[in-house]
Amino acid sequence: MKYESQSIAKLYFIAAIGLFVGQILFGVILGLQYVIGDFLFPEIPFNVARMVHTNLLIVWLLFGFMGAAYFLVPEESERELYAPWLAKLMFWIFLVAGALTILGYLLVPYATLAEITMNDLLPTMGREFLEQPTITKIGIVVVLLAFIFNIGMTILTGRKTVITLVLLTGLVGLAVFFLFSFYNPHNLVLDKYFWWFVVHLWVEGVWELIMASLLAYVLIKVTGVDREVIEKWLYIIIAMALISGIIGTGHHFFWIGAPDYWQWLGSVFSALEPIPFFMMTLFAFNVVNKRRRDHPNKAATLWALGTAVMAFLGAGVWGFLHTLAPVNFYTHGTQITAAHGHMAFYGAYVMVVLTIISYSMPIMRGREAANARAQVVEMWSFWLMTVSMVFITLFLTGAGILQVYLQRYSEDPMSFMATQEKVEIFYWMREGAGLIFLIGLILYIISFFVKGEDVKMLGSSVSIEETS
Amino acid sequence: MKSVKTDELQIKRASDAALASLLNLTILPVISFIALLLIHRKTQADTIDHYHAVLGVKINVIAAVVLFLVSALMILLGGFDSPWTWVYVISYFTIVHTIFIVFALWALVRAWSGDRLWS
Amino acid sequence: MRETFTKGMARNIYYGGSVFFFLVFIGLTVDTVQTLPKTDNRENLTEEVVAGKRLWEHNNCIGCHTLLGEGAYFAPELGNVYTRFGESTEAIKGFIKSRPVDGIPGRRSMPQFNFTDQELEEIAQFLKYADGIKVARDWPPNIQG
Repeated sequence: MKYESQSIAKLYFIAAIGLFVGQILFGVILGLQYVIGDFLFPEIPFNVARMVHTNLLIVWLLFGFMGAAYFLVPEESERELYAPWLAKLMFWIFLVAGALTILGYLLVPYATLAEITMNDLLPTMGREFLEQPTITKIGIVVVLLAFIFNIGMTILTGRKTVITLVLLTGLVGLAVFFLFSFYNPHNLVLDKYFWWFVVHLWVEGVWELIMASLLAYVLIKVTGVDREVIEKWLYIIIAMALISGIIGTGHHFFWIGAPDYWQWLGSVFSALEPIPFFMMTLFAFNVVNKRRRDHPNKAATLWALGTAVMAFLGAGVWGFLHTLAPVNFYTHGTQITAAHGHMAFYGAYVMVVLTIISYSMPIMRGREAANARAQVVEMWSFWLMTVSMVFITLFLTGAGILQVYLQRYSEDPMSFMATQEKVEIFYWMREGAGLIFLIGLILYIISFFVKGEDVKMLGSSVSIEETS
Repeated sequence: MKSVKTDELQIKRASDAALASLLNLTILPVISFIALLLIHRKTQADTIDHYHAVLGVKINVIAAVVLFLVSALMILLGGFDSPWTWVYVISYFTIVHTIFIVFALWALVRAWSGDRLWS
Repeated sequence: MRETFTKGMARNIYYGGSVFFFLVFIGLTVDTVQTLPKTDNRENLTEEVVAGKRLWEHNNCIGCHTLLGEGAYFAPELGNVYTRFGESTEAIKGFIKSRPVDGIPGRRSMPQFNFTDQELEEIAQFLKYADGIKVARDWPPNIQG
């Protein structure tokens, strides 16, 4: 570790992993509620468990992004963090605010939470993924602004690299688009239209910038490939992400009462959205193939390749599967959406955060890479989580296809609840895969505590016969 | 990594072959396969471009059989009007198709560096 | 990705492409907002409906249901529930009112929210208003949602 203040990232990563565990535990509860409808009812109804599951995901990914920025920005900018104390302060504020919000979801009925937090003054609650009380949302904005100020000042007063500039753009975009969460008009169509400015322009827009820059950073470190080459790839990937993704928002405007031109605009541009993910896979494969050194941290390389492939699979392929308006007419709001959501979030954002954790954690603990035994355990956790997520996705896809057929496509359509009983077998299998995911996660945590001999870098030999 | 320095033209042709193979699997089927066959005719045995042209043809022929034949069998055996047929066909086709694409991507990257698949 | 394609070109595509499409997006948004009065059923956006939307939000209905296809996939679509319940707000109110406090053994059940008669009317009116939004191709595909 070159700069003292990079170690602040450790705090953020530990919190991220802790919240990740919480997210998965609630995921397992939700999976069980799908088959045993009254499980934990009425103490923890489905909507509460789901809110905890999705909000924990968002919060721990934000912790992950912030930790990643605190780790890589000082090194890239070649200076200490602008205000390390601010980063630590914001960590505790964010953690306490996040924990209180989750406890609020669990301990009091949601309507009571809305009342205590005086939602009527500025109503923002009760919309999917934006369920946080208004006061928490304001807290998030404060934390994000302090964070961006800190990171921004470090970047702008230090060495500027393409990676840090792209990261900063992504983070500023994240903060700006979050502001739309405060706009909650009475008109349902307007509400929905601008709700997507947060949700879509985050995950299919600016978050892709963050993801690509984190991936590029780790790949430079573990492969030793020339920065010029990596930066060219980075630019073209994020160019494609925004060119396809901005108008691609239209694929959410098909059935909410928006004008008809969104049908084809949304279809055409969102059909291009797999391209940046496709290129990310090509990019990761290419630079790993042309690596100029064999970094001792094999696990980090595996995560980097894994996130590229799984993002392509989850966000790219499974997104394309139901993005064209004529298909989406039948699949909109079915388990197909759930299948896509699970693999896309895992492949693109969970895995990229785990990539940077895998690369940076050993360094912050004073070694170049975790010991060989720990890495083997970590790689086992990689495969268990990744393969079980593929199966979760496949089972939900199966459930979704059957649901579409029985409830939407058939000439004699069944009711929603009757259909749900018909697809129960898939929900059981999904729950099984979910438990294996949990085992993988436990193994992941264990990997941090496995003892063994340190692995050293075997001389950063640059092979001469590289064709550029 | 690689032992023999391969000449530029061969690497270029190997890259073209691998790209044609990838395109045939994705946005430009059939036409790309014809292009791949034309590239294959220009190559000589035991060269890297020949290797990648043959690999591309193999990937695509196997993919065609595995994707279309098996899917067709599923539809034939399961019946066109059974929802379960479509559960299997769509899930199967999507995941297996993607595996072939990822494989072809790796082949392309190896062709760019003038290597065989594994060395 | 060889010498002919430089980093500068890649950067220009990024800046040019994203600025251009962002401006197009803003233009389309302006047009959409201006066109919405034709479809968004705003003429029926009464005070009762507004109160109903607030109730919808304060009880996190979206945590189980979908509304126009968005939300959770645990409970039925409600964008067309007014039609599905025979265009009767009374039927909707009756259903909400009749949910057992302790659920149904082994099955999914909506919680009992203990709404007042006024609140029941508001939530039912909100769902009626949502059903009145003119959606492309009259989505969902059939009455089952």
